[in-house]
Amino acid sequence: MLNDPSSYWNPILETLPQEKLQALQLKKFKRIAEWAYNNSPFYRRLYQEEGLEPEDIKDFEDIQKVPKIEKGMMREVQRRDPFPYGDMMTVPLERVTAFRQTSGTTGTPVYQADTWQDWEWWSESWCYILYAQGYRDTDRVFIPFGYNIFVAFWAGHYAAEKLGCEVVPGGVLDTQSRILKMQELKCNAFMATPTYVLGMADTAINKLGIDPVKDLNIQKITCAGEPGASIPTTKKRMEDAWGAKVYDHIGATEIGAWSYECTEQPGGLHVNEGFFLVEIEDIETGEIITEPGREGKMIITALDRMAKPCIRFDSKDVIRWADHQCDCGRTFRLIDGGVVGRSDDITKVKGVLLAPTAIEEVVRSIPELGDEYEVVVSKKRDIDDILLKIEVLPGKEAEQESILFRLKDQLRVKTNLGYKIEVHPYGSLPRYEVKAKRFKDLRKNGG
Amino acid sequence: MSDWKIDEMCELIKQMRHVVEELKEKSGPIQAVERNLDRILANIKMLELNVSDVKELI
Repeated sequence: MLNDPSSYWNPILETLPQEKLQALQLKKFKRIAEWAYNNSPFYRRLYQEEGLEPEDIKDFEDIQKVPKIEKGMMREVQRRDPFPYGDMMTVPLERVTAFRQTSGTTGTPVYQADTWQDWEWWSESWCYILYAQGYRDTDRVFIPFGYNIFVAFWAGHYAAEKLGCEVVPGGVLDTQSRILKMQELKCNAFMATPTYVLGMADTAINKLGIDPVKDLNIQKITCAGEPGASIPTTKKRMEDAWGAKVYDHIGATEIGAWSYECTEQPGGLHVNEGFFLVEIEDIETGEIITEPGREGKMIITALDRMAKPCIRFDSKDVIRWADHQCDCGRTFRLIDGGVVGRSDDITKVKGVLLAPTAIEEVVRSIPELGDEYEVVVSKKRDIDDILLKIEVLPGKEAEQESILFRLKDQLRVKTNLGYKIEVHPYGSLPRYEVKAKRFKDLRKNGG
Repeated sequence: MSDWKIDEMCELIKQMRHVVEELKEKSGPIQAVERNLDRILANIKMLELNVSDVKELI
């Protein structure tokens, strides 16, 4: 169903039939592979070692023969010139206008170089996101983000300006000051990690006596950085706390902003197939998965990112294609439920595969529990032990026994594991502003 | 979809690039011209990604 063209950022691309989108992706893939081969010593080496010339790529099956890259290779290449990016670069340093880096959660941070054109491309990608989520030039958008070396909401800021929104940069203000400024200016949208969305609501209510639903004017929130906005129970908590629509988006420093939820909230995210090629690979066999519903890890190519190309990057994100199209009329395919895990995050506990997002879904489904929790996996006498720390909301302490019964029951149903539960005083577990670190596997340190 | 004047849009985008590149050649050492043109070129590239790249598929 095609809606009014004005409901899309770019109706030409966003409603292009799938077969034409694939033709566009193939054309662009050939272009970026040739560019990288001719201008990046890293890519030339990589492809020559495989005996691959860019002109060998003629169809989609040929794309699967192109070597994948991994984060470890990006780190390794940084030891080479030019400093500090390494020879994955395709342009001289004089053309680089911005430095960003990954958060370093899984090891040494990856440094990312962008030219002004690449930065324009970043904000253009974000324009697709924000426009699909209903941002328009009448919006006053607050960005409660400590503008720094992480890309996070920088691109969201530039894109909101490009859309004509009025942007209020929350920068170094503390949480209370940010809330008060949002209230004073009657801001109607903001962008943050799910953790911080919930943390701000908590601060508003418990520190300022402000009810975000009644006393603020927020109508939409765009999330990034964590999977929470695609976890139904966490999304509901955020929407209830703010009386606003909460939308997810997924991006990464070394890739770009590659997917977004639209106002239809279809239970998944559109892949921006005009700018990115997403392949899903079976984790065991390496086979490319095209059918809906089957999980695999994402191999992604940023089709137009030039200075430090990202071609067939093994992101470790676990995703699956949805089995339905979105009513919004976009032909960009949906991934079902967003990123459902990470192939390097899913861990075995007591012989059972456990995805940390499954625990979050259960904790956030119990309304008497606070938003924060922590999971600690350790080994005691060769036996895995899993401890879940939670907070019970003030006034609900008397119901603790019934709450814990439901929690344990749901955890067993959803994760097939038994947990030790520790109840901590409300407000005592760590609070985070950006990416939360709630899952601790001490077995990796011999603990 | 047929209402979009893709061919005309693409031609105008092409002309814009041509004009900017010509101006860049003539700007010599004037940074105030060259750097602003770099930014314009980046925006023209976005028009090419959004429109010109799709032309042959429509």
